Amino acid sequence: MKVEDVVCPFCGCLCDDLVVEVDQNRVIGVENGCTLANEKFMGDRRLENPIRKEGRSWSDITYDAAIREAADILIDADRPLLYGWSGTHGEAQSVGVHLAELLGAVIDNTSTVCHGPSIMAIQEVGHPGCTLGQVKNRADVIVYWGANPIDAHPRHMSRYTTYADGFFVKEAFKERKVIVVDVRKTESSAVADEFIKVERGGDYAILSALRAIVRGKRDLIPPKIAGVTREQLFRVADICMQAKFGAIFFGLGLTMSPGKNKNVRNAIELTEELNRHTKFTISPMRGHWNVYGSNEVFTWITGYPYAVDFARGIAFYNPGETTSVDILRRGECDACLVVASDPGAHFPRACAEHLARIPTIQIDPHVNATTHLATLQIPVAVTGIDAEGTAYRMDGVPIRTRKLFDGTYPSDLEILSKIYARVKEAKGS
Amino acid sequence: MRVILKTRPRAKPRIPIEAETIIPQNFLRKNDIRVYEGNKERKLEDLFFITVEGPAVSPDQVEVILTGDTGVIKRVGEYMNAGRIIVEGDIGMHCGNFMSAGEIIIRGNADSWLAREMRGGFIRCEGDAGHYCAAGYRGEKRGMRGGTVEVLGNAGDFAAEYLSGGEVHIHGSCGDLPGVEMRGGTLTIGGDCLRPCGNMTGGICRIFGTAHQFLPTFRKNGTEDVQYGGKHYRMAAFRGDIANRGKGRVLIRA
Amino acid sequence: MTGLWVKNAYVIDPISGIMGEIMDIAIRDGKIVEEVNDGAPVIDAGGCLTLPGGIDSHSHVCGTKVNFGRYMSPEDMRAGRTARKGVMHVTSGYSVPTTFGNSYRYSSMGYTTVLEGAMAPLEARHTHEEFTATPHQDMLANTLFDGNWSIMEAVRDKDVKRAAAVVAWTLAAVKGFAIKLTNPGGTEAWGWGEDVHSIHDEVPHFGVTPAEIIATMIQANELLNLPHSVHIHCNNLGVPGNYQTTLDTIGLAPDLNRERQSLYLTHVQFHSYGGSTWQDICSKSEEIARAVNARPQVAIDMGQIMFGRTTTMTADGPMEWKLYMLHRNKWSNHDVELETGSGIIPVYYGRKSLVNCVMWAIGLELALLTKNPWQCMLATDNPNGAPFVKYPEIIALLMSSRFRENERNVIDPRTEHFVPLFAIDRELDWYDIAVMTRAAQAKALGITRIGKGYLAPGAEADIAIYPLKPDELDPAVDYQQVMAGFAKTAYTIKRGRVVARDGEVVVEGANSTIWSRADVPPEYDLNQDAEFVKKFEQYYTVRMRNYPVQDVYLPRGLSIRTEASL
Repeated sequence: MKVEDVVCPFCGCLCDDLVVEVDQNRVIGVENGCTLANEKFMGDRRLENPIRKEGRSWSDITYDAAIREAADILIDADRPLLYGWSGTHGEAQSVGVHLAELLGAVIDNTSTVCHGPSIMAIQEVGHPGCTLGQVKNRADVIVYWGANPIDAHPRHMSRYTTYADGFFVKEAFKERKVIVVDVRKTESSAVADEFIKVERGGDYAILSALRAIVRGKRDLIPPKIAGVTREQLFRVADICMQAKFGAIFFGLGLTMSPGKNKNVRNAIELTEELNRHTKFTISPMRGHWNVYGSNEVFTWITGYPYAVDFARGIAFYNPGETTSVDILRRGECDACLVVASDPGAHFPRACAEHLARIPTIQIDPHVNATTHLATLQIPVAVTGIDAEGTAYRMDGVPIRTRKLFDGTYPSDLEILSKIYARVKEAKGS
Repeated sequence: MRVILKTRPRAKPRIPIEAETIIPQNFLRKNDIRVYEGNKERKLEDLFFITVEGPAVSPDQVEVILTGDTGVIKRVGEYMNAGRIIVEGDIGMHCGNFMSAGEIIIRGNADSWLAREMRGGFIRCEGDAGHYCAAGYRGEKRGMRGGTVEVLGNAGDFAAEYLSGGEVHIHGSCGDLPGVEMRGGTLTIGGDCLRPCGNMTGGICRIFGTAHQFLPTFRKNGTEDVQYGGKHYRMAAFRGDIANRGKGRVLIRA
Repeated sequence: MTGLWVKNAYVIDPISGIMGEIMDIAIRDGKIVEEVNDGAPVIDAGGCLTLPGGIDSHSHVCGTKVNFGRYMSPEDMRAGRTARKGVMHVTSGYSVPTTFGNSYRYSSMGYTTVLEGAMAPLEARHTHEEFTATPHQDMLANTLFDGNWSIMEAVRDKDVKRAAAVVAWTLAAVKGFAIKLTNPGGTEAWGWGEDVHSIHDEVPHFGVTPAEIIATMIQANELLNLPHSVHIHCNNLGVPGNYQTTLDTIGLAPDLNRERQSLYLTHVQFHSYGGSTWQDICSKSEEIARAVNARPQVAIDMGQIMFGRTTTMTADGPMEWKLYMLHRNKWSNHDVELETGSGIIPVYYGRKSLVNCVMWAIGLELALLTKNPWQCMLATDNPNGAPFVKYPEIIALLMSSRFRENERNVIDPRTEHFVPLFAIDRELDWYDIAVMTRAAQAKALGITRIGKGYLAPGAEADIAIYPLKPDELDPAVDYQQVMAGFAKTAYTIKRGRVVARDGEVVVEGANSTIWSRADVPPEYDLNQDAEFVKKFEQYYTVRMRNYPVQDVYLPRGLSIRTEASL
């Protein structure tokens, strides 16, 4: 059976035009997807049942026993951490947040290791953005800053930017100028009309200089900044100011290089300055397919997009203090629930070591690096394959993922709801 | 009155204690002071050995001495408006938040957000301070607004971010972007720093070491002579940040 | 479900013509009935003011832009935080509270129905998700059509029926309630960083004017027989001299509907400015009120501002940019492909700002100068003019000229030269307030047909009992008590169940989402229209099949079905 208009649960592009062929409980073919999508649908090898570590060996346990044990571990903790969430649907995230408030836990999502700095920057100066179709239909200048979409978001250029024909841009490839800013040549920089090769850590100074140039302060600019010539900066500023509609997309090259949130802030303020001359927007290239959804869900329930600490009953937010990496590095938490992400693979070593020291429960369909740190793992259905629910695309557009077949695994939502119910009962509320 | 709080040994010593209740005025009458250990509310005496010496009739006569394993205690001195707190060792995050008067002395190091959004009073940290020393809260447009913060050692990144009033003096060096978004007040850095005063719109920053990677968006504005530590220095003067129509002043030892 | 008696209630129910009588109300199965058996539990209202549940006909509480207002504002979130307590979830936020925060605060003020003022169709799913997390109010969503390409093409082709078909398809797809036009044409122009400056400016590339869009949509709305009228946020919001645009817009409204207005103008305070700059801005409330008084086919809401800190958020992207240029704090913008825009900035309205004082006066003047309270509803365009928790203060200002005089002494003393407020001695009475906070809304929205806004048998048992005894109070003098009374009900009853008591929510909510479904003949069904489908797939970035909001997002959806006259 072929299912059309399938939503891809891999990256923040959330492409919704895949055609997936299903044979009973198995995906056997994917059309329209990128290589990352194909791997997600086709290379889906699951953990078969809940497992529990005793000493150095794993044993199988039932779902009921696993849920009971997970709840008991969390209830006993004085500083539990609930981490992950970007790889599951909004309805499950919502139960996660309510679980955190009930427990007095810290809840955090993967923004903590990707676009957290972008969020902090937005909280300082706001975010002039738009939906991706606005870019597709209008933009004549595209800037990728510290991002390599061909590698990380393979269909971004063909669906939304460089190669996507739109209403006012009939022949996109001819009519659009593409500027790439990065510390090294990439596949994406190879297709750019203008490639700014900046020295590592030089983004902030380049952005400050561009702002000054757009403000007409060209006399102030020294011949070379962070490896970039003044002439190139002038040229790029002119391209941007003459654009009818410009769109900046930035990635971890900007958020995770020295200056972090201040780099992003500077890029946003450049966008604001350009809006005094023409129309310009800026957008983060969100990684996980539903990391933006976790930000949205956290926000409407708690007021904050990530790193929310309920230890005191109220919601408290302070990245650097309430962010998972910082909590783990300081060895604060005494139990951890990991849902739909793999901190074992993405966190610094000291954090992973702490996860191994404390009871760590993982709810995830697959065996991954975190499995080796965990004491308990509960396998679940994969949202977008055998579970469905809401996801938010990198530009905030909400799309409902499809369930392709009825599998045998419970969803994240079912498991979390049961843990929640048990905790609620134990807390007598 | 002198109140001595000595930490008791804890089963999980790395779980932070939140203790905004540890301010001099609370010891004047209150005998049921609560703090939090992780998500559990505790009585002060459950976590500290408490010794009280002498009387006091007003909070400015109260001196609180914190000793023991104090490096994970957060928010000590929050909203403090009189009296004195002496920390014998290190102190946790957010020491002196919103403080408006009184004095805090830290003999060891202070963790991040020392003197966050401080309004008045005096804080001296004899060791190093963490990140965001004398800075603000996420999303707010003003950081520290008044009072004095003195750090005898070094400070981390983003020292005096959004500084809007008062004086911050780091005797040692600062990390990245001290004085970023600064809009008023005075920041003095005895040692070196990286990329000072990005996006500043007002205030004065004085740097007596080396300012590495000084941003290109500051306009040279002659020289100025200043006194520091009993010596005369000739300083190169700059105005900026031009990227932001800023009218701040940066003085860097010539 | 067992029954419930509310006894000894001082009832004002304008729709039923009850102007302040002590009476008993019987409730069964969530509805008001003639009587229930004597064994049913009794709430003794003790002669307190008892009104139908409050209805907010224009508020921003759920959806993409509202949530971004939270997302970008940790400083606002920390300004109002409560811990989990009983059945109440954690809340955060002052001007843009979390969904539960909004819901609890509205509930404790006696509000049981709220209309979200602006939902971008492409992002409707988000609005509905937040509706579900706003459990104590029945929710409705104004759906944005101001920059809708298909609509503008139909307008250009002078094809009203086509416009109606687009509306019908869209409302059904996104489970929207009514047509909202926010700066019609202006939000499309903002796609290029431009705006329109009068109702006769042409929208770039589309060859239509705002006036044509508005006139066509009013006709289309009536062809579909929708419960509400077109709901408009006029062009030129916040621009000195914009009252002329507002008068021109009012002039476009024909009288097409016997039951209600044909055009609802929202937050009119922001659209009633004279002068030509911020230096000579003055009130034109008298001109606007005169136009409203002369035309029963229009209704307005105040868009009152109150002094203090808040967050502005609107689909009117170009307006937010202009406002940002004045305030220079922080600015978010979010244009939505083929449909609309939006912007958010935090603001502070100060008593020391002459402009803000003039704005404050204009909102009150509109309410006091509109003769018929059914034509002017109380709202702040929450949170744009002020967070809705300020409603009790606004009520008190409208009921007491003494209160207004006291305020006069603490605002910019020049204000009186620019506004007529202090020459108006009208004081609204309890009846006027009951009309302006629920009855008029129910009528204007066309939801009396589903039992909203009144207390006669057959109505939904949404009831607010305020700790105010109208017989013992003189609101002109005791305005502080009036304010306190409207801030916290003694009881809020939603669909027959006590949901809040003395300012605290006591049960978990279970709201409904109300949407409009106009049935059109097959030749107007755009799902079958090859041209529409082709353009959709070409220019949207979401597949047409993935666009509609699935039923699962409306666990208690309630559609008002109409038959289109196409």
